[in-house]
Amino acid sequence: MLVTQEFTVSVDDKPILEDINLDFGPGIHIIMGPNGVGKSSFAHALMGNPKYQTDGAVEFFGKDLLAMETHERSRAGLFMSFQTPTPIEGLSNFQFIKQCLDSKQGSPGITETLAKFKGLTDEFNLPNEWDKKHLNVQASGGEKKKNELIQMLMLNSECAILDEPDSGLDVDALQILTNVIQDFASNDKIVIIISHYESLIKNLNVDSVTVLGKDKTIRGDVDLAYQVLDEGFKNIV
Amino acid sequence: MTSVNQFANNKYTAGFNTVTETEDFEPGLTEETVQKLSAIKKEPEWVTEFRLKAFRHLQTIKEPTWAHVNYAPIDYQALSYYSAPRFRNKDEIPPEILETFDKLGVPLHERDALLGIESKDPNIIPTVAVDVVFDSVSIATTFQKELKKHGIIFCSISEAIQEHPELVKEYLGSVIPAKDNYFACLNSAVFTDGTFCYIPKGVKCPMELNTYFRINARNTGQFERTLIIADADSYVSYLEGCTAPAYDENTLHAAVVELVTHDRAEIKYSTVQNWYPGDENGVGGVLNFVTKRGLCKGESSKISWTQVETGSAVTWKYPSCILRGDNSVGEFYSVAVTKGKQMADTGTKMLHVGKNTKSTIVSKGISFGDSSNTYRGQVRIGKNAHNSRNYTQCDSLMLDNSKALTLPVVSQYNNSSIVEHEASAGKLSEEALFYLQSRGLDEENAVNLVVNGFCKDVFQKLPLEFAAEANQLLNVTLEGAVG
Repeated sequence: MLVTQEFTVSVDDKPILEDINLDFGPGIHIIMGPNGVGKSSFAHALMGNPKYQTDGAVEFFGKDLLAMETHERSRAGLFMSFQTPTPIEGLSNFQFIKQCLDSKQGSPGITETLAKFKGLTDEFNLPNEWDKKHLNVQASGGEKKKNELIQMLMLNSECAILDEPDSGLDVDALQILTNVIQDFASNDKIVIIISHYESLIKNLNVDSVTVLGKDKTIRGDVDLAYQVLDEGFKNIV
Repeated sequence: MTSVNQFANNKYTAGFNTVTETEDFEPGLTEETVQKLSAIKKEPEWVTEFRLKAFRHLQTIKEPTWAHVNYAPIDYQALSYYSAPRFRNKDEIPPEILETFDKLGVPLHERDALLGIESKDPNIIPTVAVDVVFDSVSIATTFQKELKKHGIIFCSISEAIQEHPELVKEYLGSVIPAKDNYFACLNSAVFTDGTFCYIPKGVKCPMELNTYFRINARNTGQFERTLIIADADSYVSYLEGCTAPAYDENTLHAAVVELVTHDRAEIKYSTVQNWYPGDENGVGGVLNFVTKRGLCKGESSKISWTQVETGSAVTWKYPSCILRGDNSVGEFYSVAVTKGKQMADTGTKMLHVGKNTKSTIVSKGISFGDSSNTYRGQVRIGKNAHNSRNYTQCDSLMLDNSKALTLPVVSQYNNSSIVEHEASAGKLSEEALFYLQSRGLDEENAVNLVVNGFCKDVFQKLPLEFAAEANQLLNVTLEGAVG
């Protein structure tokens, strides 16, 4: 469970989100909201980006999330996919994921890890020798998004916040994405998706929809998402 | 990067000193000092003359001041110019000196070789031969017999002056004349020991040749001199490592390294420089004022410099190539890391003289804390160096209040040559660190991955044994540099 209580997020002492009370259990949750309302900030603040100051409380599987450093949040089972993942020269995709796994307890051996990684890059139709390519360097937008999902699967996190995982993906890739998310969620995982795309929403078994507004936050089921897609945000938040 | 955890702190691990009985000169630099030095080494007259000429010229010139470094004036009269541990011959090396090199991680079979147990275990195939210089003298040189079978001479320069005077006479000062610059001139007057290598025609040296320099004595300058000659169609890979105790006075190190390659010969010269950098307040540390230059004398010959510089309080060093032979190739790959109050002014010169000559420069500067890190480069393509090429890439990565400076100078005197320059400078981004940390890596590990990735192009140029050492050294250096 991920539970936020009066969760407030600010940048340079300017509040972006105030008093957010939300809970997320196993299943698929969609977060929507007008541009600039602070959806990405919500994700980054939960992950511990030092750019943001936070207030209130966030409980993550019984632990005080806000008291943890970013790497501790990851090790506790939180994952976030980035809209624009940062390129790191000289660090190969596989070397990176192996390092991440090694930083956790009970990491599998290199052979097993590589086999799993290559299986996933094939499944995602990524170029050959993806393992040797440098992290987010000279990769297309779609490739980067796929790479983020592969990291999520490799780390096998308990809770994944996906920040617009569908932007920049072609139709085939979108199909893979929906299958992967649905499959991942079916293992009792929490998946929180920031998205506006109908095609993604209608192909997933959505458990809740949250609309973040300037002054209020609305919770509903998948019909709330369709209402937003039909009418826009202005009548809702 | 698991090596990080093996080190509990970022103390300079080579900072201990060794207590051993030594023979030292009283401080002071006069013509008598030079004569006394030459006499103690039983040098022939032409070497004494070489030294005296340099000494006399030294009196007429001044230390260079153009580098972006600051240090208290050096009192040359307060330094001692000779310090040698006492032992009768190389079979009786004092145990505390053997222990010193054991502590510094000179591998066991090499140490065994130091004791004269060469190839006792038939399963140990030597891959590296070592010349060990302790303050002013060479302590031992391993695998000399093995190398001799191939006609390779690998010994201390003092020994070479006695045993191979004709070779030393021909080449000493031929690439870096005594009058080249202040520190080279000082070295020419008072050089104590160093390494000499000669690779005969057509011979590919079967092992890496390695010199390990250790400063131990306090208030003693180290002035080593290295001369490597690769005759036609030969090849050698040479490695150089260095450490010093943590004293709170500065220690002066002014070395000269000369390389010569004949037709189609190649010298690959790698350095991992880890002289004591001083403490966090900038007290103590080695002043590393070094002149290194290679002459590609023959056609299609090649000289490649690779350096990983993490130590020294102040570095002033520009390993260079004179590309005289047609089709000759010069390379310079460098990683320079500075932290605390360290100052580095380093780079290279590529002087294209022959036709179709090529040079590549890849420089990576990483600076932390209040340090300053300058790349200074000169590429000169002469009017007869038709169809020549240079590629230069200079990247800097900065953190905290550190300063990085890139000063490339290019001059081209013909129309058929191509010079390319790429440069980047950036702060180690918070965004990149957050991204890596969000996948479970702690801050130190995240910084390591970014910096190691940044240096990868250069590390790949190092010989295998050295690459691991360089990596480890970098990780230890980075530890505690962040935050």
